[in-house]
Amino acid sequence: MTTATSIPNSPTAAGGERARSTLLHIAAWPWRAINWFGGSVERHWKNITAAFVQVWANKTRSVLTALGIIIAVTSTITVVSFVQGFGNYVTDMLRGFGTNMVFVIPSMPSGVQGRMMGRVVMDIDDVRAVGAQCDKVRRITPLMFSNVTIEYGHEKITDVNLRGTTEQFQTIRSFYADEGRFFGPMDVDSGAYVCALGRDVLKDLEADESIVGDFIYLNEHRFKVLGLLEKKGAAFDESQDRIVLIPHTTGVKMFPFLSRFLPMVLEATSEEDVEEASLQLTKVLRTRHNIQPGQPNDFRILRQDEILRDFQKVQMVATSVLAGIVGISLIVGGVGIMNIMLVSVTERTREIGLRKSIGGRRRDIMAQFLTEAIVLSTLGGVVGILLGYGICAVASLHPSMVEVKVPIWVVAMALGFSAGVGIVFGIIPAFKAAILHPIDALRHE
Amino acid sequence: MIASNESKGSSLIELVDLTKIYRVGTEIVNALRGVSLTIRENEYVAIMGPSGSGKSTMMNILGCLDVPTSGKYVLRGQDVSTLSQSRLARIRGRQIGFVFQTFELLPRTTALKNVELPLMYAQVSRKKQRAMAALKRVGLEDRATHRPNQLSGGQKQRVAIARALAQTPDIILADEPTGNLDSKTGEEIMAIFDSLHAEGQTIIVVTHEEEIAARCRRVIRLHDGMIASDETISPVSAPAPRERVTTP
Ligand SMILES: Nc1ncnc2c1ncn2[C@@H]1O[C@H](COP(=O)(O)OP(=O)(O)OP(=O)(O)O)[C@@H](O)[C@H]1O
Ligand SMILES: [Mg+2]
Repeated sequence: MTTATSIPNSPTAAGGERARSTLLHIAAWPWRAINWFGGSVERHWKNITAAFVQVWANKTRSVLTALGIIIAVTSTITVVSFVQGFGNYVTDMLRGFGTNMVFVIPSMPSGVQGRMMGRVVMDIDDVRAVGAQCDKVRRITPLMFSNVTIEYGHEKITDVNLRGTTEQFQTIRSFYADEGRFFGPMDVDSGAYVCALGRDVLKDLEADESIVGDFIYLNEHRFKVLGLLEKKGAAFDESQDRIVLIPHTTGVKMFPFLSRFLPMVLEATSEEDVEEASLQLTKVLRTRHNIQPGQPNDFRILRQDEILRDFQKVQMVATSVLAGIVGISLIVGGVGIMNIMLVSVTERTREIGLRKSIGGRRRDIMAQFLTEAIVLSTLGGVVGILLGYGICAVASLHPSMVEVKVPIWVVAMALGFSAGVGIVFGIIPAFKAAILHPIDALRHE
Repeated sequence: MIASNESKGSSLIELVDLTKIYRVGTEIVNALRGVSLTIRENEYVAIMGPSGSGKSTMMNILGCLDVPTSGKYVLRGQDVSTLSQSRLARIRGRQIGFVFQTFELLPRTTALKNVELPLMYAQVSRKKQRAMAALKRVGLEDRATHRPNQLSGGQKQRVAIARALAQTPDIILADEPTGNLDSKTGEEIMAIFDSLHAEGQTIIVVTHEEEIAARCRRVIRLHDGMIASDETISPVSAPAPRERVTTP
């Protein structure tokens, strides 16, 4: 900084002087910056090319040195990509359910308070009340859970998921009939013996689509098959297609005791309204169930957005824990680099002495060896990234494998970390080289 | 090259009572015991003396590669002992051209790149042209792309001289530059020094050979870390110098 040191009598003159020198200073800045940067870029470039020459001259050693980094980066990339791949698969599936969906399940609170409340009751009137009184609830339907045995012709299959619901179910869960039709409000009102079948049921019954319009037996009750549900696939290893849907009114006739244990599923007016809808329905149900302030709910609310959020939290934790564990191997790789760089400094002591004797400053020598360490570790990182890509690409080829995509952020991170490892572990050898006494270095044997 | 007429005769190097003591374990070696001398611009000095007399020790101090234990070293009016590491590096890079007995070229690096090295540290412009000019000066422009292992000993030393010249130093310090060469090649190297001196370059050469010393205008003989004799020889007739033996 060049500032006016003498203070003239006239303050305006001083101001003018200072302003002028400051202006000149500022005007000179870009030029200086370019000069400095230009010069330093050239030297950095020299160091980088020299480092490549050095790495290439000792190919085998370089590979062995960088092996730790290569392995660390390869495993980081692979592990993170796999976790992300599986995670994305599950997330997409959860999204498919709709994120503004809410389940309400009757549930006795745990502990003494729960036991004091007696039996838990949730019935169709609760469902209707929630539907009528909560303006943030767009659609609502009861969802009765049970299992049945199905008979069709000579085939008999057991333990099929039975859901008693209304026609609203299709929209809420986006689970439509793509063959024949779903049952309608009339069927629900009248408690008709009609059903819609999932595709896996069809397969297990060894039937084809001509079953639509035909009759099957659910726990020995005769049902007409109105339609077939579109294929949904598996969620958490459980088929969503081994299912039979009937009107809940009919379900109650088959399983009378379930009328007092009726879960519901509803759709909030929007994703943002899920919170509000939950509050509203809590209020309605607590009032209807005569729950005093301070007493716990006798039902549980499962929110799809929360399930998704929880899952994403788990996924993030899993990713960072795994990445952290394999990240530790980066340190091991770094120690390998430091080791070889120390050897290299010792081997090239005379070269260092020579460089110093012809004008190389400490910082020049430091920069040279630090650059070499960084180039070495970054090259290791690049090789590791390519290997990681390769492994993920090969794994994705397997038919029953989810799509494993390498996230770009993990590539950037791997590069950053391997370069960082070069800096951290290159500092000591570079410093050792930099502080060598020129004549001692030249005399080294 | 240095403009010889302008600065001729002014003092370039001044050593005042320079000592250097090495400690090896409990043993103490007095490598230099009070050396004082002045070297002017455009001098051509030979340093002689028996093995172990401190020649290399003195050269290393002159080249700012080593520091004296005591005494003063003034280079172009600047007391070197007061300078920081980076200022010393700057002096080594810009004011001094050191030529080693063992050449000290970077392996796997072309002659041209070796010569460019000091220019790179000095961050000067037109490195390639300057390095090429220096190589031309030692007659090696056609070997610019050769690596040290593709050069003869004499050629290696010429590259080393070109490297020392590249920065147009105030002084060239050569510690037994012909020590690893046969006498004919040594002659060629000395011929280069001769012509550099004729152009005004200040040169100090350490040598064991009287014929080489005879080319110089001044011969300083060291003995046991002290100056035994310091004679200026007339260029025409080179009489055998008298040796004055002093006991410490
Ligand atoms: N690094 C060192 N440590 C200890 N002693 C040293 C060291 N360098 C030189 N010496 C000693 O200092 C004395 C002078 O050594 P120097 O190398 O200057 O001799 P020289 O005149 O160059 O000999 P030569 O003609 O054999 O090259 C010698 O006795 C030597 O043993
Ligand atoms: Mg010597």
